[in-house]
Amino acid sequence: MKNENDYLWDKTEEPDPEIQQLEEILGTLRYQPRPLRIPAELRTERERTFFRSSAARLAVAATIVLLLLGLGVWLGLQRLQRSQPQIVKNRDAETKTNSAIAPTDEHGSSRVALPSVEPKHKAIGGPHRRGFNQILLTANSNRRRNASIRNQYLVARRQKEAEAAKDQLMLALRLTSAKLNFAQKKTLNSRDEIHNQHKIG
Amino acid sequence: MKTPAQSLMKFTSMNLAALVLVLTGASTTVIAQNGRIETGQLRSLAAKASETVDVNLEENLMRMATNFLSSKDPDEAKAKDLVNGLKGIYVKSFQFETPGQYSDADLESIRTQLRNPAWTRLVNVSSKKDGGVELYLMQAGGQVTALALLAVEPTEITFVNIIGPVDLEKLTELGGRFGIPELDIGIPRVKRKN
Repeated sequence: MKNENDYLWDKTEEPDPEIQQLEEILGTLRYQPRPLRIPAELRTERERTFFRSSAARLAVAATIVLLLLGLGVWLGLQRLQRSQPQIVKNRDAETKTNSAIAPTDEHGSSRVALPSVEPKHKAIGGPHRRGFNQILLTANSNRRRNASIRNQYLVARRQKEAEAAKDQLMLALRLTSAKLNFAQKKTLNSRDEIHNQHKIG
Repeated sequence: MKTPAQSLMKFTSMNLAALVLVLTGASTTVIAQNGRIETGQLRSLAAKASETVDVNLEENLMRMATNFLSSKDPDEAKAKDLVNGLKGIYVKSFQFETPGQYSDADLESIRTQLRNPAWTRLVNVSSKKDGGVELYLMQAGGQVTALALLAVEPTEITFVNIIGPVDLEKLTELGGRFGIPELDIGIPRVKRKN
């Protein structure tokens, strides 16, 4: 079904002059495809802060630092893992030696070597946990080594002091002895003098 | 006229002075009874001396030293036996390049301490040419508890102070050691039971 005037629908009929006028007025505002032009006065200069300007360089530097840190940690862990079996090996060797030279008692029967009292460090968890255990083990062994070095140093120092005291003692006795000898000589001389005086008298 | 506050101040200061005197006397008596002679005043001689020997062996240090004395070495064995039971050995010796580097006043403080009735002068030999020797003993209950020896020579001063039960017999035997002949200085031997 068609209306009397289909101009507004498909522009086939005669246009109404009033509508035509309206079309002309509003036609200036119809969409026209053209690029957006921003007025020059609206353009503002972006602030170039230090971080914005050198963000890329900073990111690169941070990546390098992180890589180096990671490499350092990895190398440290590798070294720990390499040194740990060495300690364990040494311990095994010591245990073997001890059991090999297990002393025999007076009756000739060899004593059974007691198992090590040291607690076994179980590697619970993944490789991280194992690495942590190894660090603790190394720290403990270092502490033990330091304590034994300190003890050795103290013993050596005490020995030195005792030897110095001994030297002082011998020196003091020698001096005392010499002075007593001096006193003896003096006493004998004065006795002789008195004796001679009596003889003369 | 004195106010009560002034009187109180005077009374307190007099009491304090008396207390200081009593304490000083007591400390001197304690030192004297202990047998230790203060030799701090001899320090001034160290500056003039060409050679100084200063031995200060307390009981614990002496015990430590005794552990290092060998029983196989006759000298050390003798020393070990002699030192056993002693509480301290203090020796000060000054050697001078030329005579007249010291005066009697330098030794007066030591002699003053040795004038204490607790000390008995056993030997006193003096000669103007060669100097002299003074040997003092402190005794308690018939036993020697300390010894002091002051040897003065024109170019040398030696002071020995031994604290503890000094065995005079052993000390006399010491004279035969270290290449020195036995002594005969008339030390009265302490009678032993049996």
